[in-house]
Amino acid sequence: MKPTTKDQGSGFLIHEGFILTNAHVVSDSRMLLVNKLSSPNPFLADVVAIAHDSDLALLKVRDPDFYKNLTPLELGGVPELQSRVRAYGYPVGGHELSRTEGVVSRIEFGTYIHPGIDSHLLIQTDSAINPGNSGGPVTQSGQAIGVAFQSNLSLNDVGYFIPVPLIKRFLVDIKDGIYDGVPEIGIETSSLINQHHRKYLGLPENSGGILVERIVPFSSAEGVLQSGDVLTKIEDLHIDAAGMANYVEQQVAFYIEAENRQIGDSLKLQVWRNGNFENLTLKLKAPPFGEEMRNSYDKRPEYLIFGGLVFIALNRNYIHSPGNLLPPLAYEHWYREVERPNTRRQQVVILTHVLPASVNSGYTNLHNFIVSSLNHEPVNSLAHLDQMLKKMPRETVHVVFESKWRSLPLVLNFTESLEQHNLILKRYGIEESSYIVNKNH
Amino acid sequence: MLKKYKLLYVAVLYLFIHILITPLQLKAEPPDIKPWFNQAVLLKTYQQSYDWRIPWEKGEITTQTGMGLVVSLPKSPKSLSSETLQSKKLYLMTTAELVANATLIEATRKDIRLPFQAKLMRMDFAANLALIEINDAKFWNELKPLEIFPVKSSVNYESKSIYSLNIKSPDEWDFESGTIERMAVGHREKSDAWIPTLKISGLSKSRHGYPVLQDNKTVGMILDSGRSGAKAMPAGMLLEFLQRSGSDKFQSLTHRGFRWRRPPQGSITDYFGIPEDKSGILISQVLPHGTGSDVLKAGDYLTRIGKWRLTHDGKINHPNWGLALYDLLFLDQYKAGDSVELSVIRKRKPVILHTKVTTYGNDGHLVPLKRVGYSPRYIIQGGFLFQELTIDYLSIWGKNWRTRAPLRLRLFLEQNKTVMIPGKDNNEKKSVLNKKNPKHQSRVVLVTQVIPDAINIGYQNLSNAVVLKINDQSIHSLIDVSEAFLKPKNEFHRIDFLPGSERMSVVLPEEKLEESNQRIKNNYRIPKMFSL
Repeated sequence: MKPTTKDQGSGFLIHEGFILTNAHVVSDSRMLLVNKLSSPNPFLADVVAIAHDSDLALLKVRDPDFYKNLTPLELGGVPELQSRVRAYGYPVGGHELSRTEGVVSRIEFGTYIHPGIDSHLLIQTDSAINPGNSGGPVTQSGQAIGVAFQSNLSLNDVGYFIPVPLIKRFLVDIKDGIYDGVPEIGIETSSLINQHHRKYLGLPENSGGILVERIVPFSSAEGVLQSGDVLTKIEDLHIDAAGMANYVEQQVAFYIEAENRQIGDSLKLQVWRNGNFENLTLKLKAPPFGEEMRNSYDKRPEYLIFGGLVFIALNRNYIHSPGNLLPPLAYEHWYREVERPNTRRQQVVILTHVLPASVNSGYTNLHNFIVSSLNHEPVNSLAHLDQMLKKMPRETVHVVFESKWRSLPLVLNFTESLEQHNLILKRYGIEESSYIVNKNH
Repeated sequence: MLKKYKLLYVAVLYLFIHILITPLQLKAEPPDIKPWFNQAVLLKTYQQSYDWRIPWEKGEITTQTGMGLVVSLPKSPKSLSSETLQSKKLYLMTTAELVANATLIEATRKDIRLPFQAKLMRMDFAANLALIEINDAKFWNELKPLEIFPVKSSVNYESKSIYSLNIKSPDEWDFESGTIERMAVGHREKSDAWIPTLKISGLSKSRHGYPVLQDNKTVGMILDSGRSGAKAMPAGMLLEFLQRSGSDKFQSLTHRGFRWRRPPQGSITDYFGIPEDKSGILISQVLPHGTGSDVLKAGDYLTRIGKWRLTHDGKINHPNWGLALYDLLFLDQYKAGDSVELSVIRKRKPVILHTKVTTYGNDGHLVPLKRVGYSPRYIIQGGFLFQELTIDYLSIWGKNWRTRAPLRLRLFLEQNKTVMIPGKDNNEKKSVLNKKNPKHQSRVVLVTQVIPDAINIGYQNLSNAVVLKINDQSIHSLIDVSEAFLKPKNEFHRIDFLPGSERMSVVLPEEKLEESNQRIKNNYRIPKMFSL
């Protein structure tokens, strides 16, 4: 077991005894303690709901006494640009509440660092937001207008908070006790600022619109939108040539209409297709990419050991660990589905390293071997590989792992691999030969 | 008294043990410096490489110094004996690094302080060797060609001791001593070539082109030196370079055409059909070029190269160097064009493969290796700068480009190893052929940047985008780009990029393109809108 670490953040009471904070404040926590302002006594709390994609979490303190003399903050709306805001929290720990003031300097879409891949509306302020502020409220006129969550260390006085529409979406989403996630349209678009491009597409003058260049397979847009469509309107919002739409008096990316809705909701669209405007409706779905594309939290890593070879399903956490950002892994993780959508696999199985034993002699330095097939049968996932190995006939002589990235296969003797299995686990102090949550491949 | 004798006894014993465990550090007398005034000259080069970011411009001018060794070319191209190096015309031999992309090469004799202008005659960038010539007869007056002798490789320390020149100032020439540590086959990353080098310790001042003397005879030339010691090209390779330089058709050094690994052990050797009684190496990849690439297959178990038996470590019993990597065979025992038999076990059967020793080359690389002396190729249309992906281009990301250049671009380097991106085109040989223009090698064409102009407003953030099609024609080279721009569709040129690029398509109006090109040429003072 690695040494445990402790971290601190902020949070605020919203209603019915719930505390709102950031997902990254409570992720991977084994024990959660909440302190009231100026009180030395910690209270045990539990995570009621967590949304890693939008970096939000809802907590509940076990002891009802905690809530005595506390008043929930009301949620406000989206602030105006240049309006004054206050950020509250406990930057760098500390026992006393810190309060900083600033103005709203930008409202835009940006990447949420916690999931790593998701992009949502965020509000930029010059009010100081430092580590420890995370989860604290940003207020205006006595109402919470956001949750402080990240800053840009390369810039001075740039902090960000999660706006209320995304918070409200989260609170509605978890009402059934399950967090479904922020829906996504599933298209890649390019601006049509270039007048020649607009003329090429035959677009009427001053019609606005953004070019749909690619439909993500299995996404909300599949079967509704087409590559080459020009998306001109989403619900009642007109989309300009840069893909921006007017939202609460601000120009923000048109995706805003999708991200404030729930999975299963409908979305009305207008497109310019084959020289005509067409009205379409799509049903919103969750992003089609697997969880392996996001940073993973609160999950025990899955693995499989066979003959001392350690396999995992390629994921964002692994590829971003030192030395693993290699072109073949990057291709399998990111580029394959974009460039060759029909070659989509459930998971990419890789051999991360080898636990040296006589059965795998000669392969002990091997790592990051992408497993394409096992005894010439394609491998679709870690669970699939596990099943294939388990179903392998006893009379099998060789276990052949092939990779499309290497000319030579990795070969083990099947009988020796089985014979040495327990010995290898014991030698390296490993209790289980595999941990795979979903056994159905 | 007893104590005094005891001390003396201990001192004698210590001295005896010290003599026993310390190798005899006998160093030969330093050679006579005077003959070197007529056999070596100082070189100063002014180098200016192209700026691959702005391919019509050149980068900063840098200077380097080194030495040129006076040599002549062999009379008979078949003979490698140094005795045949008696042709009258003299040249200076030095390193390719010293003269690559040189705009001016100055050679200065010890006795004439006036520098003479030299020009490049031959360069083998892969091997880091170059030959330069000077047309002024005065320069060569009383200069004498070096005799080059094989390196002695016996194990005693005397023969390992060497000298090299130490030029303290143009007037003050001296020697410094060093030791040959070993002969190694090293990978020269700049050219992706394997070359034999003498690893030498003890030399601190030696630079490009300095001689290595063993028993007062020239046995090598320093390629470079650093904290970890110096690397020198051994005599055999220098003589071979001179021989190749004398022939009409200059060829680069010979090279293997495969990668290998130690054979697996245990019961899985039978999967690969590896016999227990025969040592050898397992061919793990067949490269797109080099010796054996035409006959070998991944999975072959290579046991012999010609008469040379291979160990499991890929070593052969070299006549001069004992157990040494088999690469040395291609580098000093075989010449380009020689026939060679490769003994392999393939599918459990012994097979003799016949092939010819081939030279190091660029053919087959999807991403061409570093080239010197060539201006970058490019085409500008409507501000879109089209360039082919090369190692030179990747080098704009600096010394650590292998980790800093964009991942998607680095991914194409995998194809230099012949391992193709998985998919339906997964064919090692076919993928490097340009299907549209079979005479040209397939290349990756990029829009490296967009030079701002009214015609490309809205596209100007595009960079390093891989071009798939122009006007519906697949693009595999800059030639394809120039041809595709001849066929606009419906008065527009449409360019499609690899999905995942900043955007996937752009268009340029045909009627405004020429006007835009002229405007860009004038605004940005670009001398030529294309260089092919």
